[in-house]
Amino acid sequence: MMVGSDKQKALQIYVPLVVYTLLLLFPFYWMGVVSFKPTSDIFTLDLNPFWVQRFTFENYQYLFENTEFISWMWNTMLIAVVSTALSIFCSICIGYALARLKFPGSDFMGIGIFLVYLVPPTLLFIPMAEVIGALNLFNTHWALILTYPTQLIPFASWLLMGYFLTIPKEIEESALMDGCSRIQILIRIVLPLSVPGILSATIFCFTLCWNEFLYALIFMSSGDMKTIPVGTVSDLIKADTLFWGSLMASALLGSVPVAFIYSFFVKYYVSGLTASAVKG
Amino acid sequence: MEKLNDNQPTSISGETTEKGMTRRQVIKTGAAAAGAVALSGGFPYISSAQNKTLNIVRGTYFIPGAQEIAKQQAEEFGKQAGVKVNADFLNWTDLNTKIGAGIQAGGIDVIELWPVQNHLYANNLVDMTEEAEEVAARGGGFEEYVLNSGHVNGRYLGIPHGNNAGTIAYRISAFEKAGVKHADKGGMDMTWDEYFAVAKECKKMGMPFGQSLGHSLGDPIGFCYPYMWASGALEVGDDGKTILFNTPTFEYALNKFVQAWKDGYDETGTSWDDSSNNRAYLSGKIASTFNGASIYYASKRRDDGGKLMNDTHHMLMPKGTAGRYHEFGTQTMGILNNSENIDVAKEYLKWWFQPENFDKWWRVQEGYQLHHVKNLANDPMWKDDPKMGIFKEIPKYGRLRGFAGNPNEKASLAASKYIVVDTFAKAVQSGDAKDALEWGERQLKRIYR
Amino acid sequence: MNSVSIQSEKFLDRESSLGVLLMLPGLILLAVFLAYPFFLGIWLSLTDTRIGMPGEFIGLWNYVDLLEDEIFHQTALNTMVYALVTVPFKAVMGLGLALILNNQIRFSNPIRAFIMLPWIVPTALSSLGWFMIFDPVFSPISWLMIEMGFIDSNINFLGDQLIAVTAICWVNIWRGIPFFGISILAGLQAVPPELHEQAAIDGANKFQRFINVTLPQIKGLLMITSLLSIIWTFADFQLIYVLTKGGPANQTHIFGTYAYQIGLFGTEIGMAAAITLYMFPILAFFSIILLRYMRKTA
Repeated sequence: MMVGSDKQKALQIYVPLVVYTLLLLFPFYWMGVVSFKPTSDIFTLDLNPFWVQRFTFENYQYLFENTEFISWMWNTMLIAVVSTALSIFCSICIGYALARLKFPGSDFMGIGIFLVYLVPPTLLFIPMAEVIGALNLFNTHWALILTYPTQLIPFASWLLMGYFLTIPKEIEESALMDGCSRIQILIRIVLPLSVPGILSATIFCFTLCWNEFLYALIFMSSGDMKTIPVGTVSDLIKADTLFWGSLMASALLGSVPVAFIYSFFVKYYVSGLTASAVKG
Repeated sequence: MEKLNDNQPTSISGETTEKGMTRRQVIKTGAAAAGAVALSGGFPYISSAQNKTLNIVRGTYFIPGAQEIAKQQAEEFGKQAGVKVNADFLNWTDLNTKIGAGIQAGGIDVIELWPVQNHLYANNLVDMTEEAEEVAARGGGFEEYVLNSGHVNGRYLGIPHGNNAGTIAYRISAFEKAGVKHADKGGMDMTWDEYFAVAKECKKMGMPFGQSLGHSLGDPIGFCYPYMWASGALEVGDDGKTILFNTPTFEYALNKFVQAWKDGYDETGTSWDDSSNNRAYLSGKIASTFNGASIYYASKRRDDGGKLMNDTHHMLMPKGTAGRYHEFGTQTMGILNNSENIDVAKEYLKWWFQPENFDKWWRVQEGYQLHHVKNLANDPMWKDDPKMGIFKEIPKYGRLRGFAGNPNEKASLAASKYIVVDTFAKAVQSGDAKDALEWGERQLKRIYR
Repeated sequence: MNSVSIQSEKFLDRESSLGVLLMLPGLILLAVFLAYPFFLGIWLSLTDTRIGMPGEFIGLWNYVDLLEDEIFHQTALNTMVYALVTVPFKAVMGLGLALILNNQIRFSNPIRAFIMLPWIVPTALSSLGWFMIFDPVFSPISWLMIEMGFIDSNINFLGDQLIAVTAICWVNIWRGIPFFGISILAGLQAVPPELHEQAAIDGANKFQRFINVTLPQIKGLLMITSLLSIIWTFADFQLIYVLTKGGPANQTHIFGTYAYQIGLFGTEIGMAAAITLYMFPILAFFSIILLRYMRKTA
């Protein structure tokens, strides 16, 4: 009996899981294989492309010795962390205001903020560059720290607003009766109850910061100020020659920190989404 | 440089630098500053220059040495002149984006411009005619092609520094097997018909020709435009208005190309970009392709005992009924006129174009970058490798996008919409050259209305 | 009664001022970095501005002109296919993934994190991986199929209209599955187990329970996730820019890539802005459905 249900479980769960994993992770397997091959083995049809025949670290060595990968990593990390923190701060304020407070224009604001989210960056980056130029922020971390939130705040506010709405009003009302101020309620009651929602918004923001390409390309201009996606593409694609091994090495290494964060927080991410989006 | 390092006392401040001084003075100032640094640990004599940042944007070089040298030189200038230098090297496809943003919003001082771009951004570039003439005079005069294509209406909007040329690279052994005589000597004078006939033979042997027809601004344009011109068609006539694209001779030639594509080419070329043909050639999948010298350069550095290198040679673009053409112009180093450091930028360029700096950078590329001044035509570098010699011939046949009209914004729009390239791609995809030509003509008429 | 209403009036006072105060930091940031660029973008679309050349007001000419642009027609059609056709695939495959992950699985956290990779790795880089997998000459997929004897020449992944569109859509679906999967998983976990137990007692089989219990519970989430995905995909750029740049012969151009080509390479940023803004009403349409839907459920 036990054996039977184990078998059934394996068939119904683990087999499809393996299929999904193969489908979703094959490109990363491929990138990994390429990153450990010497250049001469990457483009040849004589060898089985799915295995590493001659194992080498030279692509990683090139990445660390001939590019400023460490700086890129640091820039990306710093910008993503600060920009995410800034966005989450703003989004908590906006989300709470929209969820709980009535003020002039509050209805309109909710829609307005979501609509600005629809403006594609491909249109915005040139006018935005003018603002960055006017503020003298080119080639500084601030250029990205201050512009990324424009892509993050609308969605994060919306997510957090949904989450705050799930917290029973009664808790706050009784605290108000007890003489707490709104700010105190927000900090002492609402925020601790909203940790999963905040975490899921944080992860979301962090991911988008980590991935951003266009603004980072335009606003940064020296090799040591670039982010991982931009540095990788501009330093490892030389004219019509692509340094595939190192490109793939950089893509993989550049993904590690985000994947690492996800493996810790994915649980909260799910429960945060559960509460804010499923409501009703 | 050492002889300039005389640490001559000078009271020239950075402010004078802004008003324009000679390279010598700048370097002296730099040296003086360096001396002062040693003494006091600061830059007491350079007042305004020390806060300046010079932003240089250039394309990446697939020859790592060239980029390394350009970067070091920029840093060296920064040290000597006492300014902070950011030298940014960008993937070619991202270069336009950066220039566009730089023109609209600032943040870039010195920019490497591809042919045509000096025309395109003419309103936003600093006139460098005087500096360019100086470089020309020192180098024994500009080459003919630079005189033809390096300026905009007689003004140099940047100092020309040559161009990287593209032409046909081929496998000697495959061409010989296909019956081409003297393939090992290179530089054959072929017609397109003859070239396609070789392609057919080579494909039979399992080694077709390869050609990029995807959305990529290098090789697809470098191949399709010359074929169009050689077939007696133009995007636009010399009045800049009349579309001369859908001509009977071109329709005939395009049909031939469609046939040749089936018979002699790797048909996946519709998705190839600038890098695909390099990969295919270097791994022995194709016998010939249009490309810069990067293929040959890479084959020289192969770990195969020189096998591929010895088997590779170059020839000019084949001839059509209307002659032989290459898509070729002049690259320039320009300064954006919204720069706050125009004077420092000018000093940098004057300094970089000094033979002791420029030639070092130029020679590393072994002919990949064609020279701008006559003196370099007989440089010992060219004797190093006779297989690169043919590249010096290319400029004679060079035309710019939009020929016979001006290489203006309309020509660039046509290129950015890939009208000519897509006409080829549509033709080989559908097999209907006439329909593709009509499509291309309609698009060009919209652009040149 | 009286004291309560006085108090609540006080609250209302404080609420309105506090509300505005809380909105301020975010709004300032959005106003400085988004509002100005946005309105400038709208203005640009009404002019014939080129890069470095101030333009003149030409009314709706750009918009009208685009209606006659064959490439724009193709672009609009491609964008619709790209954004709408991919969604059901993402939803169904995401749902499947969620149903699997909703079971007791060993190492479930690391597995979930790994499965998220397609969504969290920068698109600029993962697309390069796909670019290599789709290489016309060196594709490992072509290699395998040739080796196994299914085909005898390489698949023209990005150079044949139908295959190229399929390939592009697949990469988009691939990137979207984890997002759908995790979001739907969140929905599944919110389904009260009692409902399932009750249905089981009533004699419903697994499939019936899924249709009658699970699906109604996650319907809202599915809707929101799909709308978000449509909005993101409409505005996509990077993926196609890396893989095809709209080629071959514009068969994979979408609004983002076409606007980018016209604006940055063709220097006509006025026209480019108009192309991008054609998206706005479409996106606004989907968002208004989204927001109304959310309001109804809230």
